Amino acid sequence: MARRPAVIAIASGKGGTGKTLVATTIAAEAAASGLHTVLVDCDADAPNDHIFLPRAYETISRVRTPVASVDSPSCTACGECSGLCAYGAVRVLGRSALVFNELCHGCGLCADVCPENAITMQGLEVGSVIEGPTERTPDLRLVSGVLDVGQVKAPDVIRAAVEHGLGIESDLVVLDAPPGVACSVVAAVREADALLLVAEPTPFGLHDLGLAVELGNELRIPMAILANKVTPENEPVPAQLSRFEGVPVVHSLPFSRRTAERYASGDLPVDGGDMGRISMAPVLVWLGSLSAGVSPEAALPR
Amino acid sequence: MKVLTVASGKGGTGKSTLSALLARLASDELRVALADADVEASNLPIALQVDKVACDEFNGGVRAVIDADACTGCALCEPVCRFDAITPKGSAYAVDGASCEGCTRCFHVCPAGAITLRRQHAGEVCTGVSSVGPMAFGQLRPAHDLSGRLVTEVRSRAVALGAQNGAELLIIDGPPGTGCPAIASLTGADLVLAVTEPTRSGAHDLGRLEELVRRFGLPLAVVLNKADLSKSGAREVRELCEAREMPLLAEVPFDPALVTALELLAKGEVPQAHGFGTGGMRIIREIWRQLSATLGLAQQASESR
Repeated sequence: MARRPAVIAIASGKGGTGKTLVATTIAAEAAASGLHTVLVDCDADAPNDHIFLPRAYETISRVRTPVASVDSPSCTACGECSGLCAYGAVRVLGRSALVFNELCHGCGLCADVCPENAITMQGLEVGSVIEGPTERTPDLRLVSGVLDVGQVKAPDVIRAAVEHGLGIESDLVVLDAPPGVACSVVAAVREADALLLVAEPTPFGLHDLGLAVELGNELRIPMAILANKVTPENEPVPAQLSRFEGVPVVHSLPFSRRTAERYASGDLPVDGGDMGRISMAPVLVWLGSLSAGVSPEAALPR
Repeated sequence: MKVLTVASGKGGTGKSTLSALLARLASDELRVALADADVEASNLPIALQVDKVACDEFNGGVRAVIDADACTGCALCEPVCRFDAITPKGSAYAVDGASCEGCTRCFHVCPAGAITLRRQHAGEVCTGVSSVGPMAFGQLRPAHDLSGRLVTEVRSRAVALGAQNGAELLIIDGPPGTGCPAIASLTGADLVLAVTEPTRSGAHDLGRLEELVRRFGLPLAVVLNKADLSKSGAREVRELCEAREMPLLAEVPFDPALVTALELLAKGEVPQAHGFGTGGMRIIREIWRQLSATLGLAQQASESR
């Protein structure tokens, strides 16, 4: 039986802290050191990893999510379904029940209780999972969850992408989470063994980091912090990061205009050159220490 | 009351910074109300020194809880859960609270009555008085869902606040992305101001946001923030704006003066309007002029003088 890969998720409460830069760089560096690596882009609202790590070729599978569908001629408008729906997604209007797809979570309770068997679950297309080896190296495969514009069911697309990524035989899976702390982030990080929080040492960044730490505590995933865009002005601030008890700061990257400029053009700092090489080795060392059982959190029940 | 929603596909482009500075300028001419619709990472209250805060609990849905002693281990609940939230634990079953979406289907199939439903405290919805006008905001508790519904609640409270205070303009600082919370923040907008950055990610996500906004038939204008960070990135954004016929209102340089102004605002030291006369700040003032003309507010302001 294939052993399970190590799974690290990259998250942050605030947007624009550098999750994508960190996730793509960790994945590229791990693959370059010989690990079979899978990067999963879970920012289904705004997926960007493919810009930095173009795929050599790709296969696309559509994501369907179940939603209830009412056969109006069979419906007697009894209201059993609308009375039980936790989301207000099915309502009786006139002589038939009607389903609002955006509100439906696809649980199937209404279909269970319909005395006329007038409700069935249908697959609604909400997005795609795109996968393929990167141009950089076939040892690095990129899986992207992409929400169709106008759809609201990002968590379903993210779950499909994560499942796809974990199904590929590999040594390491890197999950690039969306910003925020709600259902989309939970869908992205719930399978992770370790959670790396990318934080900007600014007042906004510190506030949002606190929320991300709460999320990690709630999900009981071992966490560490990577401080990004550290400048001489906010230099004392990394000390403030240590207020999050038990969450070590494992890495710190300085703000560099040059890095920002090159990143803007779609380059990765792992390649060095005049961009200045950035190594994510401290993060991989931290991850290794977790799987070696050094951290007590690693023994938490999953 | 006109409604301006500040949005962006990508996170970290400068929505809250721009919202706060525009609100500061607008408040010189008009009565302004504000909403922070990023309920997962609410930063506008920090930027604009909110005071006299009153919060209500925001009730989310329910979550299922299995009483291990009453559970007979019959396993009927596990396969009916669409969210894979139910797994065996010892001789009984248990619910993973973060994955449960509260559909109640397991509660209905359990023959032993071992499952109870607990109402969730999913967050808070708040109102307060900021340095430039009344503000509504919210905070979702981490790992809870329904952020779209909380955004809708924040927006409707802001509309009510604005009406009570005779506000002529409501500025909504939106969440990043194009999903459920972003859609909730666009409802009822008279104009959507998309803030982007000159990166390939910025252009890509602006394209997705434009598609979304067009579906709702809302007018859209673009601000390119940190514009001098990349020539090629800026070109890409300009080309996209031209191709999709989006007016590019302004290009704001990467200017530390904007951060300083924001810090002053956050300390309650409201920067003087004449401070908006140089560099990036002058461009913010120009953006405000254009927005107020587009929304038909310039005339109202001169009439009320």
